[in-house]
Formats: sequence, structure tokens, C-alpha cells
Amino acid sequence: MSQAVLVFVALNAILAFSFYAVLVAGQLSLGQAGFGALGAFTAVALAPEPSEVGDVPALLVAILIGMVVGALAAVLLGLPTMHLRGVFLAIATLGFAEAVRILLINAEWTGGANGMSVPKVVTPLIAWVALAVVAYWFWRQGPSSYGRALAAIREDELAARAMGIDVGRHRLSAFVTAGAVAGLYGVLWAYFVRLLAPEDFDFTRAIDGLVTAVVGGSTMWLGPLLGSGFLTLVPEVQRALGVEAGWIRPFIASALLLVVIVFLPGGLGSFLPRVRVRARPTASGAGTDRPGLVARTHAAAGEPVVRIVGGNKDYGGVHAVRDVDLTVGSGEVVGLIGPNGAGKTTLVNMISGLVPASSGTFEVLGTRPGRTPVHRIARAGVSRTFQHSKLFPRLTALENVLVGAHVVSRPTFLRRLLWLPGARRDEAVVVDHAAGCLARVGLADRSSVDASALSYGDQRRLEIARALASDPSLLILDEPAAGMNNVEADALSELIASLADEGLTILLIEHNVGMVMKTCHRIVVLNFGEVIATGTPEEILKNPAVVEAYLGSDGDSPPGTPHTQEAR
Amino acid sequence: MNRSTVTALAVSSALALALTACGGEDGGDAGGDAGGGATGGEAGGLTGTGTGEDCTIEEPVPVGAALSLTGAAASYGESQQKGLELAAAELAEVGGVTYDLVIEDDQTDPRQGITVFEQLTEDSSVVIGPTLSNGAFQAQPIAQEAGVPVLAISNTAAGITAQGDYIFRVSLTEAQVIPQTVAKATEAYGLEDVVVMYSNDDAFTESGYEVFSSALEEEGVTVSETLTFSKADTDFRALLTEAKAAEPDALVVSGLIEAAIPLVTQARELGIDVPIIGGNGFNNPKLMADGGDAAEGVVVGAAWNSSSEGELNTAFIEAFEAEHGAQPDQFAAQAYTGLKVIDAAVRAGCSGEREDIKAGLAGIADVDTVLGTLSINAERDAEHEAVVQVVENGSFTVLD
Repeated sequence: MSQAVLVFVALNAILAFSFYAVLVAGQLSLGQAGFGALGAFTAVALAPEPSEVGDVPALLVAILIGMVVGALAAVLLGLPTMHLRGVFLAIATLGFAEAVRILLINAEWTGGANGMSVPKVVTPLIAWVALAVVAYWFWRQGPSSYGRALAAIREDELAARAMGIDVGRHRLSAFVTAGAVAGLYGVLWAYFVRLLAPEDFDFTRAIDGLVTAVVGGSTMWLGPLLGSGFLTLVPEVQRALGVEAGWIRPFIASALLLVVIVFLPGGLGSFLPRVRVRARPTASGAGTDRPGLVARTHAAAGEPVVRIVGGNKDYGGVHAVRDVDLTVGSGEVVGLIGPNGAGKTTLVNMISGLVPASSGTFEVLGTRPGRTPVHRIARAGVSRTFQHSKLFPRLTALENVLVGAHVVSRPTFLRRLLWLPGARRDEAVVVDHAAGCLARVGLADRSSVDASALSYGDQRRLEIARALASDPSLLILDEPAAGMNNVEADALSELIASLADEGLTILLIEHNVGMVMKTCHRIVVLNFGEVIATGTPEEILKNPAVVEAYLGSDGDSPPGTPHTQEAR
Repeated sequence: MNRSTVTALAVSSALALALTACGGEDGGDAGGDAGGGATGGEAGGLTGTGTGEDCTIEEPVPVGAALSLTGAAASYGESQQKGLELAAAELAEVGGVTYDLVIEDDQTDPRQGITVFEQLTEDSSVVIGPTLSNGAFQAQPIAQEAGVPVLAISNTAAGITAQGDYIFRVSLTEAQVIPQTVAKATEAYGLEDVVVMYSNDDAFTESGYEVFSSALEEEGVTVSETLTFSKADTDFRALLTEAKAAEPDALVVSGLIEAAIPLVTQARELGIDVPIIGGNGFNNPKLMADGGDAAEGVVVGAAWNSSSEGELNTAFIEAFEAEHGAQPDQFAAQAYTGLKVIDAAVRAGCSGEREDIKAGLAGIADVDTVLGTLSINAERDAEHEAVVQVVENGSFTVLD
């Protein structure tokens, strides 16, 4: 293999890594060509001449400048665009890259379209060392709490927020990583090809990088290297095989690309075994006072955890929630019942900060939902499950729970980079904790199964395990028993009861009236957005308004019969 | 066939490909080494006996050519390929010295350009340069470092041959053609005041603009307006309206053919009837084919014109038409000339060794070619008379 091929395999892989950096967080950005161009041109203009200070020092200075410029450009572009999703982000970043190219073409100091002449410094060894460093970075990033947070954002952004992950900050840092890696690519490119021209950072180059990352596998850290090896070698192989130069070669290359994309949706990386986090067999229960976990302070028994005064939510002319006053004290288990459309989920969405209230005062664990970002409310100690499961489908059950433990885990990425023993220890503690949470809901033996492959009932239980992993002060369960059979629902009742015994504050929405009656200290009944009754289970059962509105007045099945009262 | 079978098939064919790839690479390397050995060989090999027309070299002289056969510059590269192949076929008939011509595609991609050049310098005695100037700047130093002479056949940018003493070219630079064009046009049309337009995102057209602007200054022609566009633009109406308002004696345009056609057509639509003076990018029969009547009155300087007199040229055009059923363009003519010049250089020292070809190329003087009488100067650039052409009745005719 010739020198140039070796270098280009490495360079193309580095470019692909700059796409991988954001793809792992579910972002589609095409701005990397712009970051690379800015980094490369600035570095070449500012770095000392290799002839004066020596090849490697000059290149190192240039790399430093290129990566810093690339990262800064990513911050500048990221701040206004991070709220964009999917194709909108792609278009915005593409526009940026195009603007950079035009700028560089028209600037004096870049030599315009004629570009800048750069001494050749990069050797295959340098290129591969740089690639190894980049690959190492992403290898260490993957199983860290930071890496898992990015994966969670990719899988389900809303759920990630509710797990206490600061989505904006994580997306921005992924974007900045992409900018720095793209800057590195630009500098290495410049110091290898001798002529740095803006045309080499155009739309086609961005698409090349994206395709390489996707063909290799955008969720597997070796993917970009595999993609680059494949795509760079296809023309070489054809040349070696004597395929006649001309249109037939790009045609074959495109056909192979199509084959890979069609038959390997996970990219070439899907040939490699996936490394899953494994629970240690010695893992004990879900104790949260382990050293290595971030300690949390819970409100003392009886102190108000939730305080709502005059809570309202209007959707246009529809009053989903009207003048609700609700106080939940620490250690209380409160059931929220009512017919479908009564506003129960809207109410808990407002409590957990996902939906801002139209009016009223909300105070939850010292935060102001609606004004405080969702992840801060989660950090304050609110944890929840969703009416419709919002798991991270391509992560295993254990990994889902590990994401749930985000707010109590210590950041390990930087320590993992340096192989500090503390990182491994902290990771092990979090894994034990997560395994304990899984065991608590009865899923210990399913820990390495992908969430999407679990049965419906198991998915509901996994959501509870994930919510428990954050060691919450307030646990909101939105119809946890939906779709469970009687045996499972009974087990769930016991679990909720045992959690309540430990002093956990729980807000439970459930149609299974039997379960609510059995587990709740107090029940709040909503109808058409208004609280129509509140009291102990016995009081609620006797309340004629509740019976009328929800439990049903038909005497054949007296209220309170377990499992059967599903007001549909 | 079920899905897993298909997957297995895809996987196994990919694997098979990868395995052959390794084998192929090894084979290629081995071949390269063998070739290198032959090149360096003393006895027989590439050094021949006799001189000039009587020169006989036993082994074929390996000549590599890196052309853009696909990608953005494919239309130029294809013409060059036809020109080279025609020259190779003719040289094979002459006898005495044979050429093993290997044409590789750089896909108009610098990565491929560099890779291809690296490979060609391993195996060849002389390499015929990349189609585009930017690619040349990136790839040529590889040959320079390896001590393999390079002959550029289409690069017109300044500084190409300044990259090293192994780099030569047969193509005229814009700096050689444009001043002649401007002088001739100024004389023919009595130009006093012009509007200059150029695409500023292309190395070739930008350097063309610089030459135009100094040539116009030299001739004392006023530039009343300078307008820029992008090489990807196709709608020039706004710019042309602005240009028309300046009431120039001529439009001077440095742009590639892709821009030239819509620009010229739209200028005529807007009623701009003055001559349009173009750079080398306009020197393409497509201008008349796609522009039709609008192309009338376009003035282009060129290194070659099909109506140029001379036996060689007539014979070249006839042979080319017989082979390809179409008229050659300048790229074909220059490529054709390139190989013929290499032949002259080889025969001068009667050797296909790299150093001897280098010496031979440096000594090229007053060689008759389809481009005219050609010499290579001390800067290793070609010198021959340019042709100033004007489009009349749908074809390029020499402007007198």
C-alpha cells in the first residue's frame, strides 16, 4: 500500500470521526468541512514554518491552532443552532460551511481560490498516530457516563432530559468535539497535500465524511475507521485489479456502497461484537449510600415536596388542568386517579417541568417547574416514568438504568482517558447500583437485553428501575401497571409499597384502582381538569361524586375490587 | 433468496474483494519493483542505440498519465485521453521506440490525484500531468521528489513549472495567451472601455482575471466595472444588466465553460451585442454547440485552432475525426502534442531513462507540432504562438 493511501485512510477516518462525534448524540451536522477549513487556513497562516522550527514542532503548533479554531467555530455556530433538530440542523450547518468556503475564497490572506502553499510534513506514521489518538478518545468516551448521556440523547431526548441530562450542554460539547476533530483533519490535510485550497472543503467533502461515518457504523467507535478503510481502498483495489479507468470505477464504488447500506444498516461496525456493560454477579441490592455515588439529601418526613397553588393549563380553549391546589409531603404516597382526559398526565408533566403551566404557583423540591429546566428538576430529585414507555431502545436494560443513574454518577470520561483507577471503581459502583435497581424490579436476568427487545411488561418495569436509579426524592409513576397481568401488577404493588416503606415520596397515576387503594396514603381525583375529591382511600370510595364520575355507580362490581376497575 | 443468504453473500463477496485486494496490492508492488529494476538496468533496458529517427530502444518506455476522466473536469480529461491514445498509436507505427502508456483517473479529487501520481512515479519514466492546475500543485512535487519528469499538458496557472526542475509543460500559460488576445482585440475593435467579469472561486479563472486586468492596463483600456460571480452560477442577468448600463466596448470574461454558455446567451438576450472576450475556459466547441447564435462575436485566445494552417495539424484533425467521429479540441491537441514532445525528448538522447528524458525535454527547441513550432524555455514552459480566435458562423476562426 502506498504512502498516500495509508495517509488518506487515516485522514478520511479522522474526518469521519468528526461526524461520528455528533452522530452518537443524534445530531446531523454538515458543518465539519467549514470547521476543518477554518482550522486549516488559520493554522497554516499562524503556525511557524517547519523549515525554521522543525517539522514536528511546527505541525504540533498548527494542530493546536487548528483544533482550537475548529472548536471555537463550533461554539459560535452551536450556540444559535443547538435547538435545531434533524434536517434543520443539517441545513443550518451546511449553510455555515458554504459561507466559510465563500469567505475563504474572497479573503486576501488565504490566497483566494488559488489557496495557500504548505510544506509537506505529514507522514503515514504521523497521520496514524493522530488517528489513534482520536479513536482512543472516542473509545474511552463510549462507556463513560458522558458517552452514555450522549447515547441517551440520541435515543430519546425527552427521556434523557427527564433523567437529569443537560441536553443543550451535552449536544454543544459533542458539537465542539466535532469542531476540534475537524480542525485536526484540516491541518493534517493541509500539511500533507501541499496546497490548501477552499475547494477541498466543499459540500462533497462534507458528504464524504458523513457517508464514511455511516458506512462504518455511527454508533460504534471503530466505525469511522472501518468506513474509511473500505471507501478509500475500493478505488485502490479496482486499480490493482485492472478495472479500466473511467466511469466504471465510480459506478462499482457506488454499487458497493449501496450494498453495504442496504444489507448492513448498522454499518460495517455491525460485524464487530458489541461491547456491553455487564453487571457483576456479586452486585448487592440497590443501596444508594455507596461511596462513589453522588450523595443526595432527601427532604425530612412531612416537609412539602410538591406545592401547587392554583395550577392551570390551557391548550387553546381547552382547560386541561383548572385551579388545582395540591401539596405532597415527603414520604407520602399520593394516588392520582380520574377518567381518561382528566388532566392527570398534564399535571405530572407540569410537576416534572416538561410542560409549563399557564398560571399558578408550582414548587417542587425547591425548584420552579416551568421556569427551571427539566434536567435541573430531575437533579433536584424528581424522577418519573412515562405513560407510553420512553426507554432508550438501542441500549441494553442495564445501560438504560445507568443513564437513569446519571445524576448520582460521578463523571468518569476524563479519568477514563487517563486510565485512573478511580474511574473504573466509580463505574463499577454505578453498575452495581444499576444492577441492584434492575434486581429490585425483577429484571436482574435481563440486564444485557436491548430495551427494545423486552416484553411490554418488562419495559414498564425497566422504566421504574431507571427512575429509581437516580435515587429520587419524588417518584412519579404514570400508569406503571398498564398492560401488566394480575401477577405482575401485584408484584408492582408490593414494590411500590416497599418503596413507600423506605420513605420515598410517590405520585402514582393508575387506572388499576385496587392497586391505588392498596398502596396510596391519599388519593386525589381529577375530572375535567379539576380536583373533585381528595382524601384517604376509604373516603374516596365513599365519595358519591367520585363514584359518579369515575368509579362507576353500577352496583355489580363494587369499587375497590382489585384489578378490574379500568375506566375506559 | 432470504435475507440472511443475501447478507451472507454480500459479506462473502466483500471479503473476497478484500482478499483479492491484498493479493492485488502485493502483485502491484512486486510489478513496481520489477519495473524499477528494469528502469535502473544498465544493459539493454531503456537506453537505446542510434539517434533521432534511427533511435531504437528495446523495451517500451513506460509513460504514465494522470487525467481527470471522471468528476468535475471529466470533459477535459476525456479529450486528453483521446489525444494521448491517438499519439501513442501513431508513435507505435513509427517504430524504433515504443511507449507503454498507462492512463489513470484522478476523479478530479486531490486524494486520488496524489495517490495516482505516487503510483505512476513508481512505474513510469515520465508522467503526463494532472488535468487541473490545483491538482498539479498537489501531485507534481511527488514526482519532483522521486526524480521523475512531469509534462503538464493543460495547466495554465502561473507557478506550475516553478515547483521543480523536473516539471515541464507544453500548454501555454494564461499569461502568454491573454496579452496576445487583448492586444489583438484592442486593435481589431478599437476598445477603450470594457467591463470585466470573472468567477472568483476558481484558481484558474481567478489567475486569468489577474492577467486580463494587467493586459488591459498595458493596452490602455479602461475597466469601468469589475463584477464577480461563482463558478456554479447559471443566472447572470443581474450582473449583465449592470454591465450593460456601463455601455462598454466589450465584455471581458474569465470563467469556465459551464458559466460561459449561460453568460453569453443571457448577454445576447439582454441586447449586449459588443464582443465578449473570454479566457481559456471559453475555448471549447460546446460554446457554439450550446450557445448557438449567441456565441457569435466571442473572442478567445488559444494555444491551438482547428483552422490553423500546417500539414501536421490537418493530418491530426483527420486522424482524430476518423478515430472518434468528432473534431478534436485544444485539450486533445495539447495532449497529442505532449506525447509527441516526449517522443522527441526520448529520441534526442535515445534513452527512456528518467534523467535522459528530463535533459531531452529541457532541450526541446523549434519542434514542429500541431500547436505550431514549439520550444521549451529556461523556465521549462512551452513557447509557441497563440491563436486569437473569434466565433463566426458557428466556428472558431482566426481573428485577423
